[in-house]
Amino acid sequence: MAAISIIDLVMQFDGFTAVDHVSLDVGEGEFVTLLGPSGCGKTTLLNLISGFLQPTSGRIEIGGKDVVGVPPEARDTAICFQSYALFPHLSVQENLIFGLRQKGTPRTQRNARLEEIVGQVDLGAHLDKLPNQLSGGQQQRVALGRALAVRPFVILFDEPLSNLDAKLREQVRIEIRKIQRDFGLTAIYVTHDQAEALAMSDRIFIMNNGRLEQSGAPEEIYYAPRTRFVADFVGSANILDAEITEELSQGRWHVVTPIGPLEIQSKSAPRAKSLPICWRPETAIAGKEGPNALTGTITHRAFQGHFTDLIVDLGGTSQRLQVLRNAEGEGDKVDFSIMPHDLIFLEPDG
Amino acid sequence: MTTTYVLNRGLMIMLLIICALWLIIPFTMAVLWSLVDPSQPWTPENLLPPAMSFYRWEFAWNNSLLQPALLNSYLLAPSAAALTLLLAMPTAFALGRYQFTGRELAKLLVLLPLVVPAFVTAIFFTSLLYQIGLAQYRFWAILFAHAILFLPFAIRILTVSFEQVRQDHIDAARDMGARPWARFRAAYWPALKPGVLASLLIVFIQSIEEFAIAYIVGQPGFVTIPTLLYSSLGQDFNRPNAAVLSLILAVPNVLLMLLLERFLKSANPALASGKG
Repeated sequence: MAAISIIDLVMQFDGFTAVDHVSLDVGEGEFVTLLGPSGCGKTTLLNLISGFLQPTSGRIEIGGKDVVGVPPEARDTAICFQSYALFPHLSVQENLIFGLRQKGTPRTQRNARLEEIVGQVDLGAHLDKLPNQLSGGQQQRVALGRALAVRPFVILFDEPLSNLDAKLREQVRIEIRKIQRDFGLTAIYVTHDQAEALAMSDRIFIMNNGRLEQSGAPEEIYYAPRTRFVADFVGSANILDAEITEELSQGRWHVVTPIGPLEIQSKSAPRAKSLPICWRPETAIAGKEGPNALTGTITHRAFQGHFTDLIVDLGGTSQRLQVLRNAEGEGDKVDFSIMPHDLIFLEPDG
Repeated sequence: MTTTYVLNRGLMIMLLIICALWLIIPFTMAVLWSLVDPSQPWTPENLLPPAMSFYRWEFAWNNSLLQPALLNSYLLAPSAAALTLLLAMPTAFALGRYQFTGRELAKLLVLLPLVVPAFVTAIFFTSLLYQIGLAQYRFWAILFAHAILFLPFAIRILTVSFEQVRQDHIDAARDMGARPWARFRAAYWPALKPGVLASLLIVFIQSIEEFAIAYIVGQPGFVTIPTLLYSSLGQDFNRPNAAVLSLILAVPNVLLMLLLERFLKSANPALASGKG
């Protein structure tokens, strides 16, 4: 049984549709991410699940029970807020046990739970401090601990890492994932950061304009984006408008694109005669190999440490390449190849 | 660096001079006048009163209406402060927590009554009290009038306080299962507390010092400290007695103002919280 089922959910504000017929299931113990640009409806969806908003139509089931109409205080969910929302006048300890106090948990049980949580989020030295005496990372851990302490059926993360610096963010990602696994928690994580989504999730739901655009495991989303939006939003992609000219053999097509004729090998057949295709910058191979050997002029070169970004002018288009080592500079010609199976058919636009 | 230093010093010295002119000199004069012994008048050629005693203080305590006036004033002021707070809360909540068109205008309109001279408001307000028949219950009439008149202060202060309540704190409390009262204590009260105390104190001080309505409605028979002060200055013109009364009126207020300053200065934890 799914921990959370969302069935044909619609949320409208004054004629604006923020969530547009969304259906999804989250399994027990699963870590899923709602990923999308700001305004895509992901936060609205989170607020619908936590109960701060009531949907225009559709159903939300948590643990098999329909929760539409149930207020947030009566739902078995806990949010880890983007702003942390720690109570500034309460000590770290009081913040951590706030939820247990509301439930009237007996003192001995409360203390046991506190001890366990403090160990998990590593706040033992700060229990008597006020939130504003802590660093951003520590405050974040208090927020996480406060949500964990109530042992929610589902824990909801609302962009919890956006106020942390890059290094700390990567560290906290790992911590959150570890704690989620240790507790066997079902987690829904909202973010606009595709790297975060790829690194943390069991499954990613990509949202755009209130709709679910695609869902799947991170690898699937990355290597088999279905639409132009997904290809562009997750990772970086070179997207080309292609015209199919010929089916060469089973699973091989010949297409014409602005960068020249290309050969594509794909498990799924193209959905139209003219449609967008894409390829990932890091799949480019230096030198001329296979049927798709290309030559372009480097217009921009950016050394990134473990790889080098090249922007290459090719047939009037800009293509992005990521290569491990590169001796050429801006203005030089560069030979590269794209393997037929690295080219991906996208859905026709519109 | 040095110019700001010079500027700071200059401003500091000016502040001290202003303090001296506004506070120290009048208060010293009031203290000295209140100590003048009736046996020898304080004439301009003497820097200090030639004979000093607590005669005026004892006289005022025993032989004037000072005792009922103190009782009335110190019953009225806290009652007015509490009543004003209660009346101001719903409006302040609406102005501070809800977005609606005309909200800024409403905030401005709330302050408008303060522009009208106090005596003008008092005259017309008392006529209203007579019309609704409340004027015969003098204490209640004055209490009602004070609560209404000082509403703008309370609403303005509490509006700011309600604006400082953070929605994410309310949401977090709800999310953790807090019922309304627990929600109020966790999310609202810490942000409201300084404003509530400030509002109580300001209305208290305003009510203690209010003269016009207390005079028009209270005369004759119902005295407060300001009306008593007026009669000793306006009718009898007895400067030593007036000095005693003004000290009784002003000193507690100055202490309360200092207290208020402390409340407002004491860091509001809701504002000093980490992120967001």
